[in-house]
Amino acid sequence: MSTLQTGLAVILVAICIAGRAGISPAAAQTADVAIVVNDKNPVNNLSSLELRKIFAGEKRSWAGGLPIKLFVRAPGARERAVLLKLLGMSESDYKEHWTVKVFRGEAQAEPVALFSNGMQKEAITLYAGAVALVNLQDVKPGMKVVMLEGHKPGEAGYPLN
Amino acid sequence: MKMRHKRTVMALLLLLTTGSSAQDAALSERELIQQLVQEVKELQEKVKILESEERSSGNPTQGTALPSAGSPPVPEETSHSQHESFAQEIHELHGIQWRGFGEVDYKVLNQNKPELGTYGFAPGSHGNFYTGDFDLLLTSRINDKTSVLSEIVFGEEDAQKFGVDLERVLLKYDYNDHLRMSFGRYHTGIGYYNTAFHSGSWLQTTADRPLIMEFANDGGPLPTQAVGVSVTGEIPSGKLDLNYIAEYGSSDTIRPNLSGVGVDDENNSNHVDVGLFARPDSIPGLQIGGSIYHDEISDTTKAPSLRLGQTIANVHLVYTGHRIEFLNEGFLIRHAYEQSLVVYNMPAFYSQVSKQIGRIRPFFRYQYINAQPGSVFEDIGLRRGPSFGARFDFNDNIAFKTQLDHTLRKGQPDLDGLHLQLAFTF
Repeated sequence: MSTLQTGLAVILVAICIAGRAGISPAAAQTADVAIVVNDKNPVNNLSSLELRKIFAGEKRSWAGGLPIKLFVRAPGARERAVLLKLLGMSESDYKEHWTVKVFRGEAQAEPVALFSNGMQKEAITLYAGAVALVNLQDVKPGMKVVMLEGHKPGEAGYPLN
Repeated sequence: MKMRHKRTVMALLLLLTTGSSAQDAALSERELIQQLVQEVKELQEKVKILESEERSSGNPTQGTALPSAGSPPVPEETSHSQHESFAQEIHELHGIQWRGFGEVDYKVLNQNKPELGTYGFAPGSHGNFYTGDFDLLLTSRINDKTSVLSEIVFGEEDAQKFGVDLERVLLKYDYNDHLRMSFGRYHTGIGYYNTAFHSGSWLQTTADRPLIMEFANDGGPLPTQAVGVSVTGEIPSGKLDLNYIAEYGSSDTIRPNLSGVGVDDENNSNHVDVGLFARPDSIPGLQIGGSIYHDEISDTTKAPSLRLGQTIANVHLVYTGHRIEFLNEGFLIRHAYEQSLVVYNMPAFYSQVSKQIGRIRPFFRYQYINAQPGSVFEDIGLRRGPSFGARFDFNDNIAFKTQLDHTLRKGQPDLDGLHLQLAFTF
């Protein structure tokens, strides 16, 4: 009887491990990624093209002239993968893209890569022109979420995930 | 009996852990590891921020860098120090960012005299090693709208001596997307290539620049550098995405003859350059545009006081996307002598195509210049011909290029060349 209980316990533990290793990240993959800006930024909606231009450094100021300040996640984060998908670039392409932009004088520097969404939140709060991509479940008070193509993250048809 | 239970449990465990495919399991493990690494990094960052906060406030018990949603508003003074601390944390306050570009070249020609400047070319030999340009790019952010860009090049001259050239130094002010100003020494907007590719060879696909876009101090015919003001920006134009460029400045082009003997000092007057280009939203990567440049120069080959008006018209069509690079530029250089009816119209163009296939980018370029006899560019003459080769990227920082050139020259034997280049950035 005790052997049977031990067996059941082992099975439960195994199910939990399998769940943590396989199911949770997969579920996270389906989550939308929000575009967040400083809450003083008047922008409410962006088109996919505008968003691509912003994160490619082609559009460098918000309406009204406020300089756009890009914050991105460091390699390894899901938001980074979504960013690269948006730009249609690999990590190498992205690195070369920004080297070229800086060299041509079309950008002051490569966007600041942050290691955590906590730092992204801090950046968004501190810089009026800041913009970043954050997993929807990691959006915190103080971050203003911008609609994309008229859709809020989490809604059907939201394109950034 | 116990043994049988153990076997059953082991079998069930095995089934559970290998239930999904091996690939899925490997993927999940990788994701799990990435997730854990990410969490560790997040915690490390939080600890760093907390430590820096403690250091700056001198009181370990005062506020944190990451206030919770319900926490009271941070006082202005703390917010400012927090801003400074964060800005320092991300290395962007009053810092100078450096980037370097270097190259090592070997060039061999089927003639015993140099072409395109000297590059350490020893007269009498067929081939030489040289280091080309060693390029330092410095950028610094002064504030959100103002920054400085500087490009310093250590270029190899004759007898392995090196000269320092301040290629670019610009104080840049971006008012908004419609008005961006630069003051200082710049590469003129005389053609696409001159604004897209500067001195770092690593950035360009081919081993060298097309002759028409070669820097004047390396034998190129056009005024590629100037000191003055450059203004650029977007013109509200919907999906056409029109942009303008306007420049006013002074250049003083001193151009070595292609034969390596003698130099032309053009003593340029102030120049005006205006251009317009479109980057249509419907075809990302496409750029179509043109520019007109005008100044006055001296024809020192005839008499130092002989002045002529120089007008350079450019049109370009460029596509860079889907790992394809397709560059096409056409020029018409018009030299009209003052107090005379003598006019030279000299056309030039180049076309370059390349495609990245894995780490290799094969390329082909064809160029043409027709500089008339008796003109300032007499040493160039009529020359045309193809170049082809490949660029191999070892990694994101080092590339090796092989290029073969065949140039047909009017009144001179055809010129063949092999150019090998190791280009790098750091």
